[in-house]
Amino acid sequence: MGFARWAAIYGPTYATGLAWTAATALAAAGGAIAWGCVLLLIRLSAGRWGALGVDGYVQLFRNTPVLLPIYLIYFAFPMIGLPWPAVVCGALALILQNGAYISEILRGSVNAIDRVQFDAARSLGLAPWNTFRKIVLPQVLVYSIPALGNQTVLLLKDTSLLSAISITELTMQAKLLTEQTGAAYEAFIVVALLYLLLVSGTEVVFRASHRAVRWR
Amino acid sequence: MKVSRVYTVLAAGVVGLLLAASVAAGAEEKSRMDVVLERGKLIVVTLTTVPPFAFNDDKGQLVGFDIDIARLVATALFKDPNKVEFVSVSAEGRWPAIESGRADMGVGGTTTYPDRAIRVAFTRPFVDSGISVLVSKKSGIKSLKDLDQDKFTVANLNNPQMADRAKRFFPRAKVLTFDTPSAQFLAVKSGRANALQIDTPAAEYWAAQNKDEMDVLPGLLGASQNNGIFLRTGDFKWWLWLDTAVAEMRTGSWYPQYSEIYHKWFGKNPPPQKFYNPQ
Repeated sequence: MGFARWAAIYGPTYATGLAWTAATALAAAGGAIAWGCVLLLIRLSAGRWGALGVDGYVQLFRNTPVLLPIYLIYFAFPMIGLPWPAVVCGALALILQNGAYISEILRGSVNAIDRVQFDAARSLGLAPWNTFRKIVLPQVLVYSIPALGNQTVLLLKDTSLLSAISITELTMQAKLLTEQTGAAYEAFIVVALLYLLLVSGTEVVFRASHRAVRWR
Repeated sequence: MKVSRVYTVLAAGVVGLLLAASVAAGAEEKSRMDVVLERGKLIVVTLTTVPPFAFNDDKGQLVGFDIDIARLVATALFKDPNKVEFVSVSAEGRWPAIESGRADMGVGGTTTYPDRAIRVAFTRPFVDSGISVLVSKKSGIKSLKDLDQDKFTVANLNNPQMADRAKRFFPRAKVLTFDTPSAQFLAVKSGRANALQIDTPAAEYWAAQNKDEMDVLPGLLGASQNNGIFLRTGDFKWWLWLDTAVAEMRTGSWYPQYSEIYHKWFGKNPPPQKFYNPQ
């Protein structure tokens, strides 16, 4: 079957998949960056035990495949009375894992801030929370943009695992089309091209935002 | 490397792969039969999550009725039930595994449908099947008619036959789609879904394993069905041999071996060897 005809017939199917993948990835990326910032705040301000706790958390999620939390949250939470929708469970699992990575990325950037700035903040009488919000976080985020872009691309690709819990994103659509038509190659090559498109778009956004803030 | 050049290289790579695939597809091929005999080992693609057809037991060993049938085929070829290598895939991975030649044949609770037979060839059936509905007892569903309500959710496998049956038998119920039978089962077990549809022997096996929680609804979704061995289309020699092997198991010289396997997994005798001569 020609690719043009294939695209014409199954275009809407792919469009649905593309919308689910993009929406899930966007929500999860936003959530993961926010969660990463929270973890960084805990690490910087909650003393030794806070840092140890964050360390343990990061180790736990960095050393397990993300499919495990996806399965665990989707299949085990209903047993404890929390039957959240699949897309919430999937996004939550991605946020929990990528938040761990992102907090480490941000921690690396904290070291790039001159220690003098912390002393200056204290001598101006800024409270720890204000120091974090006004001095640390803005600089850290700007320094981290390239690495955050990378992590977002990884997260975007991990959304393909959500096909395991009945979310009709791109990979699931390719699986359904393969079962329906037997044409595995067409189904998956189109999906590969669509992922390439999404990833390129993400990279463009991050590169543009990096360029925009570098001039400051 | 500039971005535009990266894309040029990627595009060239994709085109190259497609060309290589079409050249490979056009090449003259010898029968799988000869390939298998030369190799001295049978490669079988299977699911690993459909008890009692093909699943991992408590020790992690791949076992089941279909697995034993594949071993019986290996025995017929090489006089050794262990001259077989299993490739496990998810449901939709069965077809490309056969089309790409990664495996010689496939088993694993696979039902013969006319539309499936367009892209892979099937032998005659080696076991009868049907599609039953497994329900959680908590849901209070007692019949197929009960199930057809919008407060219930049914777990499907990701093939179009499942979707068609859902539309036909319980159009009002909500549907979730999974890529393995074990995920379907987990969905019912965890309360994500109230019911699932699957091959009757698999439904009965799970119900027997979870007597307090689950039940099989009386009646089948549609007709009785055939499960066959599947292989690449167009390879007459290989298809004829496999079909002959299955015929011998069900009605001929290998009926005793077949009966033994049947009894082991289903706890009863197979249909009589000859319909006109029931023992």
